[in-house]
Amino acid sequence: MRFPGILLISLFINSISAKSTLVLLDNVLIKETHYTFFQSLRDRGYELTFKIADDSSLHLAKYGEYIYENLIIFAPSVEEFGGSLSVDTITQFIDDGGNVLVAASSSTGDAIRELASECGLEIDEEGAYVIDHFNFDATDSGQHTKIIVPSKNLIDAPVIVGDKTEIDNNSEKQELSPLLYQGTGILIDTENPLVLPLLTADSTAYSYNPNQPIKEYPHAVGKNVVLIAGLQARNNARVVFSGSLSFFSDEFITSPLEKPQDEIKFNRTGNKIVADEISKWVFKEHGTLRVRSVKHHKLGETEPPKAYTVMDKVVYTIEIDILKDGEWVPFEADDIQLEFVRIDPFIRTTLKRQSSGEYQAKFKIPDVYGVYQFKVDYDRVGYTHLYSTTQVSVRPLQHTQYERFIPSAYPYYASAFSMMFGVFIFSFVFLHFKDEPEKKKSD
Amino acid sequence: MWKLNSKGGFTSLIIFTVLALAWIAGFASRLFAVIRFESIIHEFDPWFNYRATAYMVEHGFYNFLNWFDDRAWYPLGRIVGGTVYPGLMITSGSIHYILHLLNINVHIRDVCVFLAPIFSGLTAISTYLLTKELWSTGAGLFAACFIAIVPGYISRSVAGSYDNEGIAIFALQFTYYLWVKSVKSGSIFWSCMTALSYFYMVSAWGGYVFIINLIPLHVFVLILMGRYSNRLFISYTTFYILGLLLSMQIPFVGFQPIRTSEHMAASGVFALIVAVAALKYCQSVLTKSEFKTFFYFGVLAVASIVFLAVVVLTYAGYIAPWSGRFYSLWDVSYAKIHIPIIASVSEHQPTTWFSFFFDLHVLVPTFPAGLWYCIKNINDERVFVVLYALSAVYFAGVMVRLMLTLTPVVCILSGVAFSTLLDFYLRDNDTPRPNESDDEEEKAKTGGRRLYDKAGRVPKMKHEQVREPDGIGSNLRSFVLVVLVLLLMLFSVHCTWITSNAYSSPSVVLASYGNDGTRQILDDFREAYYWLWQNTQDDARIMSWWDYGYQIAGMANRTTLVDNNTWNNSHIALVGKAMSSNESAAYKIMTSLDVDYVLVIFGGVIGYSGDDINKFLWMVRIAEGEHPQEIRESDYFTEQGEFRVDAQGSPTLLNCLMYKLSYYRFGELRLDYRNPPGFDRTRNTIIGNKDFSLTYLEEAYTTEHWLVRIYRVKKPHEFNRPRIPVSSRIIKSQHFTSKKNSKRRKGTLKNKALVVKGKRPLKQS
Repeated sequence: MRFPGILLISLFINSISAKSTLVLLDNVLIKETHYTFFQSLRDRGYELTFKIADDSSLHLAKYGEYIYENLIIFAPSVEEFGGSLSVDTITQFIDDGGNVLVAASSSTGDAIRELASECGLEIDEEGAYVIDHFNFDATDSGQHTKIIVPSKNLIDAPVIVGDKTEIDNNSEKQELSPLLYQGTGILIDTENPLVLPLLTADSTAYSYNPNQPIKEYPHAVGKNVVLIAGLQARNNARVVFSGSLSFFSDEFITSPLEKPQDEIKFNRTGNKIVADEISKWVFKEHGTLRVRSVKHHKLGETEPPKAYTVMDKVVYTIEIDILKDGEWVPFEADDIQLEFVRIDPFIRTTLKRQSSGEYQAKFKIPDVYGVYQFKVDYDRVGYTHLYSTTQVSVRPLQHTQYERFIPSAYPYYASAFSMMFGVFIFSFVFLHFKDEPEKKKSD
Repeated sequence: MWKLNSKGGFTSLIIFTVLALAWIAGFASRLFAVIRFESIIHEFDPWFNYRATAYMVEHGFYNFLNWFDDRAWYPLGRIVGGTVYPGLMITSGSIHYILHLLNINVHIRDVCVFLAPIFSGLTAISTYLLTKELWSTGAGLFAACFIAIVPGYISRSVAGSYDNEGIAIFALQFTYYLWVKSVKSGSIFWSCMTALSYFYMVSAWGGYVFIINLIPLHVFVLILMGRYSNRLFISYTTFYILGLLLSMQIPFVGFQPIRTSEHMAASGVFALIVAVAALKYCQSVLTKSEFKTFFYFGVLAVASIVFLAVVVLTYAGYIAPWSGRFYSLWDVSYAKIHIPIIASVSEHQPTTWFSFFFDLHVLVPTFPAGLWYCIKNINDERVFVVLYALSAVYFAGVMVRLMLTLTPVVCILSGVAFSTLLDFYLRDNDTPRPNESDDEEEKAKTGGRRLYDKAGRVPKMKHEQVREPDGIGSNLRSFVLVVLVLLLMLFSVHCTWITSNAYSSPSVVLASYGNDGTRQILDDFREAYYWLWQNTQDDARIMSWWDYGYQIAGMANRTTLVDNNTWNNSHIALVGKAMSSNESAAYKIMTSLDVDYVLVIFGGVIGYSGDDINKFLWMVRIAEGEHPQEIRESDYFTEQGEFRVDAQGSPTLLNCLMYKLSYYRFGELRLDYRNPPGFDRTRNTIIGNKDFSLTYLEEAYTTEHWLVRIYRVKKPHEFNRPRIPVSSRIIKSQHFTSKKNSKRRKGTLKNKALVVKGKRPLKQS
């Protein structure tokens, strides 16, 4: 029994670790210019398949089964994908749970634009760069498009972008070096809660074509210029759009930084760390939660009843796991809430973490019957949406469960019984104190 | 002596035969539906009763009493045991139990289907008993035969119509019989029996309120008429106290008898009769003149005290004021204005003259005659039947449904009228007539009636003083008799015709007739429910208008949001609001209610007029009652105030959920060559909004004749990505035309360096 089990587990781990990924490129050169990024993916166990984006043999799925789990599109200029690939198949891939990492550039083709708007964001016009006349790198060509973005502009979500620190040469933790960026800006709909600005430009930046005089207001200025945007769809598929392909390149990862105006220098950009963290997030190495088990029962019992009765005391236990290095380990948080809902929540309480790693809540069911749901709806930035509902019926008291003798009714009991007693006595008096005893025969 | 005995035996044989035949005729004429279709539960409410009965048979009475149905009124649930009149279930459950004790294995469904026809026989017998108490045996037999086949009663008691009324009319008649008996005899025994029968009635039907108001009214009128007697005192006080205590044992009734206005008349009269009894006692003590003033003051004082007490208690909140249904009995337009949910039920509409004739036929003109005879020869119990007749006529005029309470009294009084007439015209020369009339009546279809005149002739009725008719010749006599017999024949033909044509449709299965008379069965409802049962999850929640709630629960065994037990108006209004809002607003409501499927009834293909579009205005009205901000009835009318679904219809209507669900893809359907596509046969128009798609729902199932359409509500995760539609994009890009074709599968890259042999690299534009 044990050996097949172990075999199965190891197979399972293998199938997780060997994550097949399709990488679409503009040209084969990108494979070399972005070697470090791809290598770090390979080191983490990804199986990369490189293809040119217009290759006529491209397929995401064969016989209805996806042959890749993840998709990297480092082909900004693609106008139309080759083979059976198209924007529709990619969106279908996302809707079926696939993860996609896309890099655009200032010359972005229609396919990428279409894909971006399918995901709720837009890539700025053809030829537009993010320009920042205050924060540009010393190696900039003069158009101030090779900009330096401080790491504090990263979204405040350690699950996605890490904790914004790096280990310096003295092996001490310090703030992450700024990031180097060259590319176009991304516009996102701020009312859309699913799209996250992972990295925004500084307030001095704007997105426009540097070769043209500025005639109209740019589509995005300042903090509204999103450089890297992420989407976690409702099915937890993740998509990241970067406005810059060179953000992931070896050149940007390894080059030192120098801000000429402020005379600030850094040995290395923070690009490598951020690129790795983002790729970990987008390919679901980070922030993947699941519900292992849900249990509920009356206080003092172990099995759930067929239906609860109003005002029962109930214990609800949920086990939540997070994926860490390919393994499911108990998830730790102190802000997971449980709702007891019948259209509206009747009870909302914070789940307490037990020593055994599970979360538990004890409460008293309200005095309202109906069909309720135990609902855990844990939706935090970066984490997959954890949603668990368990439907239970809460029934009113049975006819045997009511108070049988109510104290306030004792006078009535007393009157009833005294009356009965009185009639009993009276009937004796009536029957035996008459002159003619025969009368009792008549009614 | 010997001769008399044999005559008595002969009489009872006739009575027995007539009643047995009435029973059989009544039973048989209720079987049209079973013979034409099958042994199936009809309509809507019976489906719940059947489901509840089946539950009780399976789980036992106490579990039934405590049954919390979490599949109805999701997510509120319904305490079935406490919101149901259990008499019907207990009756058929115990019949089932007894049959099984005798090792007769009958399925509970068959018990339910045939319960009402069987009870119609019992109704006939109790009507006979009541009429006999009121008038004579002959009149009783007439009444029994009438009630056995009269359409007004058959409408609620055909086989398969398993509803409270089926047994309640029996309980009503029997209670009245026992009441009359107890008033006549003044015995505690009979009034106890009255209370018991009343208890059965309370357990069976909400119409028990009619009894608890009519009997006090009877007592009150008798007191006013100066007909107070100790008999009356004993019977009423016994009946009232026992009946009150017993009726409070039904969980659904609970404390209503002492806390609602509907029941206050009974207690008021109780107080009054006790006061009158006390005064009568004083009468024996005081002198006559003293008593007279004392009496009037006393009565006035008691009456005003009682009245004031009721008013004060009502204001203080101890007594609930009249419920809406009862208000609508006094003010016909009340429900239409204030409680659309009551007005929306077709059986709560005011009765048309036509339906009086339809349901009662020849009894309509004859019943006033019977009433006249009763008033002319008034006594205690005839006061009762007069009051019964007057109040029932009024109520039947207010609500179609209450035709049912009128029917028995009409039968009784018509029986009286016919019996008196025949007596009058047959009495004179006994010898030739009976044979002749026998021959004639043998031609009549219903066997029960034809033997009447022998029966009616035999006992000498003491209260009848038949004057010898002077100058009525034998020609006139025979003429009148022939006319009477003809009328009765016509009546029975009419009854059979009505029963077979109007009241024998199960409405779960429809039948249509082709030009050549062939019958086509439309089984769409069961098809749809079967689909739901087989293809949806066990806990799937189905939203539909409340009419179909019981059927979905009964046939598809799925959770419903609202059903025919319309106890929660705001929940129904929520469903009505979802149906009358546009798709996105409806989707919000539907997700908050966890709806999985939506079911609509659409009759446009086959011309079925009872579909949801025709009911739609009621949904709007009910929704408007609770959500006047969002839903306005006027939005659904055209500027001319018309409700139309064609191109001139109001845009709100043409975009609401109900419209879309009914007509989804209907615009593509061409029914025949004479009409364009999208022609609605029910409303005889081409629909106004043909070309639309559904965003938040998808069609799951449509039955053969499109009668039932089921849609699946998409889950939030199916709207996976927040897509930016082309129209709202800031960056406009020209649309790229594909260069791919079936041969060339290569994509396109912008600015791709082309390598052409023998040429310098060029840039593709």
